Formats: sequence, structure tokens, C-alpha cells
Amino acid sequence: MFDWLANPNRFNRITEKIQPCIFLIAIITLVSGLYFSLFDSPKDYQQGDAVRIMYVHVPSAWLASILYFSLAISCVFYLVWKHPLADLVSSSIAPIGALFSALTLVTGSLWGKPMWGTWWVWDARLTSMLVLFFFYLGYILLSNAFERKIDGSKTASVLAIVGLINLPIVKFSVDWWHTLHQPASIIKIGGPSIDDKMLLPLILMIFALSFFSLYMIILNVKTKLIEKKCEALLLKSNLEEISKAG
Amino acid sequence: MSLQSSFIQIFISHIKREFLINFRSLVDVIAIISFMILIVTLFVLGIGPFEEKLKLISNAIFWIGLILAIIPSLEKTLQKDYDNGWLDQATTSPTPMELILLSKSLAYWLIVIIPLLISLPLFIVLLNIKLKLIPWLLISLLIGGLSISLIGIIGSALTLGAKRGNILLPILIIPLIIPILIFGVGISEAVRINESPLGNLFLLIGFTLIYLVISPFISAFLIRIAISR
Repeated sequence: MFDWLANPNRFNRITEKIQPCIFLIAIITLVSGLYFSLFDSPKDYQQGDAVRIMYVHVPSAWLASILYFSLAISCVFYLVWKHPLADLVSSSIAPIGALFSALTLVTGSLWGKPMWGTWWVWDARLTSMLVLFFFYLGYILLSNAFERKIDGSKTASVLAIVGLINLPIVKFSVDWWHTLHQPASIIKIGGPSIDDKMLLPLILMIFALSFFSLYMIILNVKTKLIEKKCEALLLKSNLEEISKAG
Repeated sequence: MSLQSSFIQIFISHIKREFLINFRSLVDVIAIISFMILIVTLFVLGIGPFEEKLKLISNAIFWIGLILAIIPSLEKTLQKDYDNGWLDQATTSPTPMELILLSKSLAYWLIVIIPLLISLPLFIVLLNIKLKLIPWLLISLLIGGLSISLIGIIGSALTLGAKRGNILLPILIIPLIIPILIFGVGISEAVRINESPLGNLFLLIGFTLIYLVISPFISAFLIRIAISR
């Protein structure tokens, strides 16, 4: 009955070793990335110091998308191979991904204030990021909407997979909608013609935030594993008490 | 051959059943139409009675009204059958659940689309829709309605037995049907500015075909989860 615990134990053993390394890489790249992005990178000739928002904005946008992808993939693992650990992984990814997409929206609107003059512009990327945020929100709400935890995780996993099919279409249709309504192009954040001095902190920050979120996901999964073990132990002790009383 | 014909018979009988249930009382039909009229009225009251402004956004109002009018009735498409045990019985029948759900979503499409087609002249007058737009509006309404009901079946299967399912359903559904709104409004916009609406129409058809393929399987999978509780 508890044979699935074999794999979580292996997970615990492996992460025990690699978790400090991930944390170290995250800290080193974060500190150096922040130093380069805040002090040792040139101002943009058009955007001025506001360009430094990009060093948080672009990594979070990238992470929000990649985390949704990995969320849906681990949902596939959960539904097809019924691996309980996969469910823990996807439910740990969801809040982090939602946080990053919210961060993208906030930094985007902070960047928009000096650039566009308003806090919010219905830019194609911001709009599809808003939709992505609602996909995360839907996943989290649905997985908590059932009496039994397992029903919620199964149903929400299906939603995540439907979202994986639907999100590229949404992304495409929003781009399509934007070109129809607003042919004039806006300044692209981080186009291909980016200066090397700006590219270095950007790459460092992408690494920093990726490793940081990997660390947080592992931490989340471990916490959930411990919670599950506690529940199982509690159940066991209750059963023993009942059998003793009987 | 006999298997095929029996599948078609089952298919038709399921559609008949849905029609009987839904059209026995005309309350639902009247509710959809009047709800949509009220949404349109709210929009016009919010904008003001300016002819020029209305001309620009009447297409958007029509499509948003359509989506908002369909969503409230989505929830009970499966919920009733789930509550009274019909779905439990249906899983034990030799008919594949996928087929039942496909017929259910097609029936739902007809149930929603027929009142809207009846009331379409009313909206053409209310929103001052141009005559040349009407055939395109009809086509996009038919196809868009089909994809909304296919996605709606997924949504209503997702929220089967969920707490606060009626609030959850729009949150789950609306992000999924954004492309329908964009392509649907795109067709009308293209006609308005005298361009070919075929690009948007094909995109809408493609989107609908994707969901025509995956929707029965996904919702059948969800219903098996819901039944196993």
C-alpha cells in the first residue's frame, strides 16, 4: 500500500544533495546579476534607467511561461502514470508560476508608466500574460474546489492540459488581434539587437530566477511530502487506537 | 455497418432527449434571449446613445452578449444528469461516453443557437448591423456557437461536484474562449472595413475543429473521474 513511498524517498535523497548547490548557484547569480543590472550596465538611450526593469521583467515572463509548460507536463505524468509525486510537483509549481506571471504584469506596468505614459496598455504580450495568470488561477482554484484532495488534483490536471493546448492559440489570437487593431509597433523589450553589456545581466538574472524557483519548488514538494507522511501517521495511530479500544 | 447505424441511432436519440428536456418549458429559451437583450441594453446605456460610437463596437457588444448569455446555462447541462444519477447509468451502457457527450454538446449547440437565430433580427435592428454583414454574422454565429458549446461541455464537466461551481465555471471558461471572441469579432470587423473575412473565418473553423476532436474525450475522462467519487 505504501510502496509509492519508495520513490519519494529517492526524491528526498537526491534533492538532499543537490538542493544546497541549487541554492548556491541561485544566490551567486542573483547577487552578480543584480550588481550588473543595477550598477554596471549602460542606460538605454531611449528608456534611460527604466530599462533596468527589464532585468526582472523578462526573466519572470520567461519563467511564467516555462513553469506553465512544466506544470502541464507533470500533470500528464500524474494522469497517465498516476504518479503521486507528479501531482505534488504540479501543485507546488502553480503558486510560483502565478507569482511570476503577476510579477511580469506588475513590472510591465511599472515599465509602462514612464514609457507609454500609462500604467496599463493593452499590449499583446501583457494581455496574453494576463490570460496566462488566469490559467494559473483557474488551476489553483479548481484543485482546491473539491472535498477530497485527489479529485481536485485530477480535475485540475485535466484543466492544465487543456490550457496547454489552448494557450498557444490564445497567444496567437491575441497577437493577431493586436496587429489588426494597432499596426504601429511599440518598442520591443529585449529584441535581437541587444548590447552585450545588457545581455550579461539579463542572462544572469534568468539563471538566478530559474534556479531560485527550482529551489522553491523542491522545498514545496518536500514540505508537501512531510505533510502527507504526517497525515498517514496520524491515520495509522488513530486506527491503532480504535483497534485497541475495540 | 450495423454497428455504425446503431451508433447513429443512439446519437439521434440522445439529441432528441436533450431537446425534450430543454424545450419542454420555454423558460430557458426566453431567459437566454432576454438576458442577451439586457446585456446589450447595459452596454448601450454605459456608452451613451451615440450612433458613431455604437457603429464601432456593435460587433463586440453582440459577441460579448452572446458569450455572457450562454455561460449561465452551461452549468446545468451535466449537473442535473450527474445529480439524478443519469450519468452513472450512462457509464454502464455499452455506448461510449465520448459519443454521448458529443451528442450532448451538439444538442446544446442547437438549443442555444435556435433561440439566437430566432432573435437575430431583433439584434440586427437594435445594434444597427449592416445588411452585408448578416450572412457572415450567421456563419460565424453557427461556428462560434458550436465551439462555445464544445468548450462549455469541458467546463461543465470540470466543475461537476465542485464547491461553488457556478462561480468557478466562468473563470475557467472565459480564458478558453478568448480566441472565439477575437476571430468572431474579426470576421465582422473585416466585413465592416471592406476586407475579406475569410482569414478569421478559417481560423474560427480550425479552432472549432480542434475542440470537436478533443472535447468529447476530455469531458468523458472528466466524467469518469466524477463518477468514481
